[in-house]
Amino acid sequence: MKMGHVTELLSAYLDEQVGSGERARITTHLEACESCRAHLESLRKTVALLHTTEPVRAPEGFRARLRERIDAQPRRAPRTFGLPRLPWSWRTAAAALAVVMVGLFTVNLLRAQFPRVALQRARGPEVSVSTPPPPFPGPPAASVDRAARAPEVGAPAPYTPGEPALRRVIRTASVMLEVGDLDQTASRLTRIAEAAGGFIADSSFAQAGSTPEGTFVLRVPAPRFADVLAQVEELGHVQQRRISGQDVTEEYVDLQARIRNLERYEQRLLAFADRAAKVSDLLAIEQELARVRGEIEMLTGRARYLDRQVDLASIQVSAHEQAKASGGFWDFSGTLTKVQMAFLATIRQLLRAAETVVVAVSALVPVVVLAGLAWFVVRRVRVARGI
Amino acid sequence: MSEEADLIARSGGGDLDAYDRLVELYQDRVYQVAYRITGNREDAWDAAQETFLNAFRSLPRFRGASAFSTWVHRIATNAALDLIRRRPPQPPVSLEDVAVSAGDDPAETATRSELQQRLHRAVTSLPADQRVVVVLRDVQGLSYEEITAVLRIPPGTVRSRLSRGRESLRRQLADLAPAAGV
Repeated sequence: MKMGHVTELLSAYLDEQVGSGERARITTHLEACESCRAHLESLRKTVALLHTTEPVRAPEGFRARLRERIDAQPRRAPRTFGLPRLPWSWRTAAAALAVVMVGLFTVNLLRAQFPRVALQRARGPEVSVSTPPPPFPGPPAASVDRAARAPEVGAPAPYTPGEPALRRVIRTASVMLEVGDLDQTASRLTRIAEAAGGFIADSSFAQAGSTPEGTFVLRVPAPRFADVLAQVEELGHVQQRRISGQDVTEEYVDLQARIRNLERYEQRLLAFADRAAKVSDLLAIEQELARVRGEIEMLTGRARYLDRQVDLASIQVSAHEQAKASGGFWDFSGTLTKVQMAFLATIRQLLRAAETVVVAVSALVPVVVLAGLAWFVVRRVRVARGI
Repeated sequence: MSEEADLIARSGGGDLDAYDRLVELYQDRVYQVAYRITGNREDAWDAAQETFLNAFRSLPRFRGASAFSTWVHRIATNAALDLIRRRPPQPPVSLEDVAVSAGDDPAETATRSELQQRLHRAVTSLPADQRVVVVLRDVQGLSYEEITAVLRIPPGTVRSRLSRGRESLRRQLADLAPAAGV
C-alpha cells in the first residue's frame, strides 16, 4: 500500500502536465492510497491560496521616472560615437568579412609553413648527392653519353646485323632511397644484381655532412628490370623514383640501313681495287676504303651499344643513411632551428597580413572620402530643412 | 495583438510615446514579478525600472522569436534575480511592504492583509530557483511552456522545481489551507 507514492508528481498532475501513462498510474494509486489523496487535496488548496495573492500594481510615477531615465540615456549614446549606428545587416556583413579574412590568413599561414618543411626533407638528400666529387651523372641521358664515349665498358653483347626490326626500348630507372646501413645496402645491391644476371656498373660513396651517401648503377637484363627494381625498393624508404623508357627502334633501323649501304659500297670499292691499273688509283681507292671501313665500325659500335642498352636495363640507386640528427631519440639539436624558423615564418605572415590590410584600406580611401562627402552633404541639407 | 505589434515596432525604432504605451501595458505584470521575487518594494521598483530600460535598449534586437510577454518576463526575472544575488540576505518582510488595497471594511482589510502577508512571506522564503517558478506559475499564471521559454530551462526542471516549491509552501501554510479551503 505504501509502495509507489506519487507525491512528487502531484504538482504536475494538478496542472495536467503529466503524460497519459503517468496519469493512469497516479489515478490508480490515488484510488488506493488515502494519504496521497489527502496530500493532493492539501496541495490543491495551497495552490488555490496562492492564486488569491492580490495583484500588486506598479507604483505611481513609475512610468514618468522611466521616461526621464530613457530620455536621459540615448542622448548620450550616439553622440559618443558621432557616427550613425550601423544596422544589423552591416554588422553581420562586417563580422562575416572578418571571419573570411582570418580564415584566409590562417590557411595561408599553414600553407606557407608546412609544405616548406616537407620540401626541405625531400630536397635535402638530392642536393647533397650531386655535390660530392662527380660520382655517377644522374640523368639517364648523361649515362648514355658516357657509355657512348667508352663502349668497351661492360660485357660486350653479340651483334648480328640484319635482325628484324623489333621494338627496342632502353629502360632506365633512378631511385632515391633512405636506408639504415649503407654498407649493407651496397652488398645487397650487388647480390640482387648478380642474382638477376647483371652487375654493378658503377658505385661511389660520399660523406656529406653527417649522412653517408652512395650511388650505384645496376645493369640487369631487360626482362628482369621490373623484378629487380621491386627488390631494390625493398631495401629502404623510397623518396624518389623515376622510370623512363627511350624508344630507339627508329635509330636502330636507320643504323642498320646505313651499315648495309656502306658494306655494299665497300664491296664495290674492293672490286675496283682488284681491277685498278694505276698506283694512284689504287691509293685513292684504299684511302676511300679506310674511310668507309671506319664509318662502318663506328655505326656498328653505336648499334652494338644500343643493343647493350636495350638488353641491359640500368637502375641508378642513390642511397643515403637516415639522417643521424633526426634518428637519435634524445637528439633535439635541430629543435632550436625549427622554433626559430616557425617564429620567423609567423612574423613574416603577420607582416604580410598587415601589408595586405594597409593596401586594401588605401584602395578604399577614395571611396570612403566620397561616401563621407555624400553623408556630410545629406546632413547639411537635412539640417537646413530642419528635419 | 496587432496594436501591441505596432507598438513594439515603433518602440524598436526609438518612438518614446509608443514605448510609454507599451510600458503601461506591461508595468504591473513586470512589477509584480519583481516584487514577488525580490520581496520588497524598493528592490521591486529598481528591478522593474532596470527591466524596462534594458528592454528599450534591446528592442531593436527583438525579433519576435518568442512572444513579447515571454521576452519581458525573462528580462524582469533576470533583473530581479540579479538584484537579490547582489544584496545581502534581508530581514523578514516589514509590515509596510504588504499590499493593502483600499478596502471598505477595516476589519476585513486587516484579515486579508494578514493573509497576504503570510503568503508573501512564505513565497519569499523559498530558495530563489523555486521561488521564481512558483511566482511565474501560481502568481503570474504563466503556462509551463512559457516558463520554459522565460527561464530557458528544460520542462522537467520546471516541473520538479515547481513541485518542490509548492510542497514547501504547503507545509508552511498548512494551517491556512483548511481555513481558506475551497
